[in-house]
Amino acid sequence: MSVLELKNIIKNYPDGENVNEVLKDISFQVKKGEFAAIMGPSGAGKSTLLTIMGALLSPSSGTVLLNNQDISHFSKNQQIQLRLNEIGFIFQNSDLIPYLKISEQLQFIQKISDKKPTDAIAILKQLGLGHRLNSYPNALSGGEKQRVAIARAFINQPDLILADEPTASLDSKRGREVVQIIQETVHQQNKAAVMVTHDERILDLVDSIWQIEDGKLKKVNK
Amino acid sequence: MYLTLRELRHDKWKFSALGLIIFLIVFLVLFITGLANGLANDSGSAIKDTPAETFVLQKGSQARLNRSKLTEQDWQNFQNKYHNDVTKLSVAQMTIQKQNNASKKTDIAYFVINQDSFLAPKSIKKTDSNQVYVSRKLESDGYKVGDSFKDSNSGKTFKIAGFTNTESYSHSPVIYLNNRQAKNILPDSNSFNAIAVKKNLTKKSGYQVISKQTLINNIPGYSAEQSSLYLMIGFLYLISLFVLAVFFYIINLQKISDFGTLKALGTKTGYLVRHILTEMGLLSVSGILVSFLVTYLIKLKMPASMPFSLSLTTLLGTGLLFLIIALLSALLSLIKVVKIDPINAIGGNN
Ligand SMILES: Nc1ncnc2c1ncn2[C@@H]1O[C@H](COP(=O)(O)OP(=O)(O)OP(=O)(O)O)[C@@H](O)[C@H]1O
Ligand SMILES: [Mg+2]
Repeated sequence: MSVLELKNIIKNYPDGENVNEVLKDISFQVKKGEFAAIMGPSGAGKSTLLTIMGALLSPSSGTVLLNNQDISHFSKNQQIQLRLNEIGFIFQNSDLIPYLKISEQLQFIQKISDKKPTDAIAILKQLGLGHRLNSYPNALSGGEKQRVAIARAFINQPDLILADEPTASLDSKRGREVVQIIQETVHQQNKAAVMVTHDERILDLVDSIWQIEDGKLKKVNK
Repeated sequence: MYLTLRELRHDKWKFSALGLIIFLIVFLVLFITGLANGLANDSGSAIKDTPAETFVLQKGSQARLNRSKLTEQDWQNFQNKYHNDVTKLSVAQMTIQKQNNASKKTDIAYFVINQDSFLAPKSIKKTDSNQVYVSRKLESDGYKVGDSFKDSNSGKTFKIAGFTNTESYSHSPVIYLNNRQAKNILPDSNSFNAIAVKKNLTKKSGYQVISKQTLINNIPGYSAEQSSLYLMIGFLYLISLFVLAVFFYIINLQKISDFGTLKALGTKTGYLVRHILTEMGLLSVSGILVSFLVTYLIKLKMPASMPFSLSLTTLLGTGLLFLIIALLSALLSLIKVVKIDPINAIGGNN
């Protein structure tokens, strides 16, 4: 069953007098337990596509189905609820809140959500961050920060995980470790995940690969 | 609150500095307000603290006691109608000196009143013909109960029977005389300056009828002092509005990308607005409370020559006004935060 399905998505940005058609008729899907990667040149619209998947942006036309519910015309408030409870984000530069300790980064999400809290400390320990619970983000290495961001994305047990170049600020060894953690978690917990990446060396870790170019998205055979 | 307390804990120095600025501004405002009130009291408390509501002056006297001259005939007109609600008042600004020291003179104001009337301070009792009650302000000029002083002009001496409160008129201590005592000092003791009325009168043809506040406003020097001090206070409020707005704005501007991330993670804008308001509110309240404390300590230490007066109502009112100003200052930052697009958190374009 598809967790996320995009049908005929078009996204235009106004560009002076003209319109810049960034996404032209894009269709996509990702299933439970599937880890998908999206590749493509810079400026191709990868981030735009991911923000549409993540209910941060509404498409100009087309349908976005999350668990078979059309979210493409959700109000701002509905989008916020959706991002809080159904979607987990991992950003390029981890974007932890500088004044929250590592354990509090997760506690905060649990606090603003109505979902029943899971054991945040256990998740952090599982990711090898047990000795960092009371540290602030600025004391952590890039890889550690990214692991915290992964823990934060999974804490609310969302069905869909979205990651925009999660390895961009890491060296290749750390980057690979981070993607491995995402892969294992997705498979263990039977979630769906979409990752935008430039790094071809980690493609062996994903289940499906998509290529975006000239506003069109194609599935690439592994 | 969750975010607020943790952010305050993490950035304690930054927020302490901001709290210090708020404290300094509020303290400055309270201090100047205290001085303005102190000067106002020093200028007019002898009038202000009486139960009189209205004063009747001679027509054309421009609300100035020393320009007004009423006669026994005028007095009859009012007394027949208002009985115990009216009484005569004469004010004369003169000089006194210690009996055997002509070089040290003190400016004073004689208040010629009927000692049974409502204009007489509570502590005044019946006295001998040469005993008078004087304002406690004279104490700082070295006068004690039982001392004698000489009216510099007439040479007549009086003995201080006791002190009243710190009644003051145009920055001079007040000496209360009855009609008989005044006869020896004031040249024209058949006329008087004004009729004080314990009621709210508005008009009476042939006279100038003014409220107590109008009379105080026209005490020489009063309006000029008060308006320049209040202009300063007004500007202080305005300046602090801008200074705080800029500080809050800069502090919140630094956190824009964090706010974007928080929104992307599903934090409601309302939550962030409450977070900012709580943060700024807590800082302001602590700054204000510390300034209350410091103002109180300063008040205890102020010398008598620098009149300082701050009622609890003024203190709390100023604090409240400042809290409102601080929250208004946060408005600019709030608009910015409401407008942040959570998209900025994704894609690393920051
Ligand atoms: N808010 C916006 N307004 C107008 N144009 C935009 C906006 N956001 C993105 N674009 C345009 O859309 C196109 C795709 O941008 P996007 O950020 O999705 O690319 P990307 O594939 O993520 O690139 P990169 O690999 O460099 O991150 C670009 O041409 C960009 O200029
Ligand atoms: Mg991008």
